[in-house]
Amino acid sequence: MQDTFKEKLLEIIDKNPSFKFLFAYSDWETDFLRFYRSQTNYNISKRATALNTTIYKGKKSLSFSITNPTIESLLEKVEEAMITVDALPEDPDFVDIEKDTRKAEERIKTNNIEQMSLEKKISYLTKLADAVEPYKFKIYGTFICNYEYTHLITSNGLDKIMRFSPIYFEAKAVSDINQVTVLEAFGSENAESFDIDCIIKSLISKIINAQSDVVDVDPGEYEVILAPRCIGEYISYYTWSSCSASSLDHKNTLLEGKLGEQIFPANFTLIDDPKNPMIVNFDYNGEGHLYEKTPIFENGVFKNFLVDSYYANKLNMSENGAQGVCLVMNTGDKELEEMIKSTKKGLFISSLHYMNFINPKESSITGLTRDGTFLIEDGKLTKVVNNLRFTVKISDIINNITEIENKAHTFPQSDNYGQFSINSFSMPHVKVKAFNISSSTKTV
Amino acid sequence: MKKLVQDIITKLSIPSITFADVRFTTTDDESIYFEKGNLRYKDASLDSKSLGIRVLINGCWGFAGTTDLSKKSIDYTMLKAISNAKHGSLFKREKVAFKAIDPTIASYMYTPKENPFIMDSDEKIAYFANIAAKLTKNEKIVYSNVSASFYRQYKIYANTEGTFTDSLVYDVLPSMMVMASDGRQNYSRKWPGDMNARRGGFEKVRAFEFEKNTDRIIKEAIDLLSAPSIEEERADLIIGASHLALQLHESVGHATEADRIFGMEISYAGKTFVKPTMLGNFQYGSELVNIYSDSTLENGLGFHLVDDEGVPARRADIVKNGILQDQQTSREIAQMLGLKPSSNMLATHADEIPLVRMTNFCLGAGKGSLCELIKNTEKGYFVDFTKTWSIDDNRYNFQFTTEIGWKIKDGEIVGIVKEPTYFGITPEFWNSCDAICGEEEWDLHGTFHCGKGEPGQVKHLSHGVAPARFRNVVVNVKA
Repeated sequence: MQDTFKEKLLEIIDKNPSFKFLFAYSDWETDFLRFYRSQTNYNISKRATALNTTIYKGKKSLSFSITNPTIESLLEKVEEAMITVDALPEDPDFVDIEKDTRKAEERIKTNNIEQMSLEKKISYLTKLADAVEPYKFKIYGTFICNYEYTHLITSNGLDKIMRFSPIYFEAKAVSDINQVTVLEAFGSENAESFDIDCIIKSLISKIINAQSDVVDVDPGEYEVILAPRCIGEYISYYTWSSCSASSLDHKNTLLEGKLGEQIFPANFTLIDDPKNPMIVNFDYNGEGHLYEKTPIFENGVFKNFLVDSYYANKLNMSENGAQGVCLVMNTGDKELEEMIKSTKKGLFISSLHYMNFINPKESSITGLTRDGTFLIEDGKLTKVVNNLRFTVKISDIINNITEIENKAHTFPQSDNYGQFSINSFSMPHVKVKAFNISSSTKTV
Repeated sequence: MKKLVQDIITKLSIPSITFADVRFTTTDDESIYFEKGNLRYKDASLDSKSLGIRVLINGCWGFAGTTDLSKKSIDYTMLKAISNAKHGSLFKREKVAFKAIDPTIASYMYTPKENPFIMDSDEKIAYFANIAAKLTKNEKIVYSNVSASFYRQYKIYANTEGTFTDSLVYDVLPSMMVMASDGRQNYSRKWPGDMNARRGGFEKVRAFEFEKNTDRIIKEAIDLLSAPSIEEERADLIIGASHLALQLHESVGHATEADRIFGMEISYAGKTFVKPTMLGNFQYGSELVNIYSDSTLENGLGFHLVDDEGVPARRADIVKNGILQDQQTSREIAQMLGLKPSSNMLATHADEIPLVRMTNFCLGAGKGSLCELIKNTEKGYFVDFTKTWSIDDNRYNFQFTTEIGWKIKDGEIVGIVKEPTYFGITPEFWNSCDAICGEEEWDLHGTFHCGKGEPGQVKHLSHGVAPARFRNVVVNVKA
């Protein structure tokens, strides 16, 4: 943001003390390579600049967004909004906008669009495609670099800059013969940690497992080993639905009145940890509150809701700024190999697809397995299984964890929409008993 | 702006570029959201301009988009699109190719009866505030919301084949919901359901008769607290239009987007069980089932003059008398399948790349009214208003839960059931369809929220449906 533009924002704030302003100026850029059948599908470059503004007068508010803002367009919109906001009804529950003026130490962030050039991406993809070709597999996926700069300026004195430049790489290897699919992903802001040889090695080991026969299994309860991305996805759905202060306000969580109580077995600890070195780090949450390490469950005891400023005021709770996008689960004491070896008959689930709550309060959910479901027989992965539908309660999954791996794995996530924001979780493999498979898709 | 677009096309009309197109959009979005009777936000993004340039070089697409329309930015965007195509072609084995088509030069400007962007703001807010207040009057209703989104987009499309069109459309998306609780369990009811977007202005909001339906959804949500669940293993289901639109969307619409056949969506949205060899012979549904994509229907959110690669709007019969006949295609994919392009290649904004998307994707009407269909059903359930949806990677195994179901016995509604959940395999399900209601029940039901692609785009589209009956469906799924 140019200094003159910032000065104008501060001037608007100064000149209009009867209003409160929240300005979020953002520059966003992406270089996005999508590939299929071991070749380019398309390359996209995109740039967008926007100013998102919310104006408050007492308990009344109005928001607007301007793309490519100029001082003229800003002044015109602000003037119009200051008149319009007065005519709106109040939100009696609104008290104030974010007040946390504490600043994180500003970190230098490299623009990974420049670090990871298109030439580099193509050379990595060519190497990966060549590596899987002898197994009669092809690669499909995305290779993305973003650069995002957001400057938050508010009437409560917040003046904070957030910079992100994540790299997100997701490659699926798909069999030419029967479409059996396995997945490898990378997500980080550190371009130097992108190791194509390591990715190739891991993907090939998964391809080797995927070359067995494809079988079907009947609906019923199974002992399952959930890959880190699976347990991470279940836990994140649970955290966002049952542990948010908004769900408490909406009377849509069974955790109401349960702070400090034993909810899950003592083997389960979950922290929202935005500074964990294993994952993509964040300094602030979306409101500009310092995003700090917050325990959600400690040894099964419920410790904290995710509380933003609005619901902190409305529900008279302490704001913690946690937003559940940096989830880290505790590790256990088992080697993954041991966990597989000790399974007489069960399933290994690599990835999930199209989950949706049936009843969020009860945490009942349905969804499917994807990208590698395997049958475990007598302690070995023996066959590929068709993708399966599960209909389960997430609380039952957590209650039924019997073994936890002694190692954590990082996996990236993206909301895919808007500015393709990228975060990551750190999770171990877990073994879960009595996992309900409700039907088979009869396809891979 | 037209001149700017034409100037870019002229610059891109050079021998090294096989094909190029340029799109410009100006989009207005406004949202209003009441929660528990109070206005939580009123948000607008007006006059949001963007430009996208797509080029085909050495058999590879390159694309660049921007919201900055300065000369410097446009020159950069043009060069970036060209560079993306050239670099991409170094990792390309099967070159993109398609046949030329005759240019279209046309203009279309929709005029709503009540323009939501110029109507009195106080009147608009008061309309929803009144509904929001009514939803909070019962102590068993612990949560409620009322929302509305208004959308207007002006678009210019031009390509190096000489096509040049511009269009202006208006869409609305109003909704309300309540959640009842007895402290132990919660049940919700929405109106008018999830496929509630319409082409038009505020007159389309009024047509939903929100005020008339507030008491109804409050009562139904409270009644669900003491309603039984379905106990049978299997049952005959009559599916209401609001939910059937989603059933059609997920199990036929996405399954017949032909980019999925070639794996172009595997990395995110998924594949399809449909194979090219099924065209012309696969029994997708019963003989009653006729499904088509029709971008010429002006009342639908999927209407256009040409799609985002210059293919004129048209109807494509996807399933005819139960047999799979055609696919939703781009020009590139139509060529790969030996089909005529179906005019389904679309992007949400100009700075996004076009993808194969549904437009107005419809189930053809049958005969008779919903009352008659219920009367002719000995035993079963009428289900409607989507609660949960989920479908697999191949669009083959689906499971849906609706907010409410009505039990039918000897042709009469005899009570309600909570959270009816059914599961099916796509072709088995559509082959079990033995009745579709007639034109008098058929309407276009729209959404703003069809997600696809990477980076993700959410698209406006419509589904024409009338309620239909499906025999012997699995309904015993429980968590």
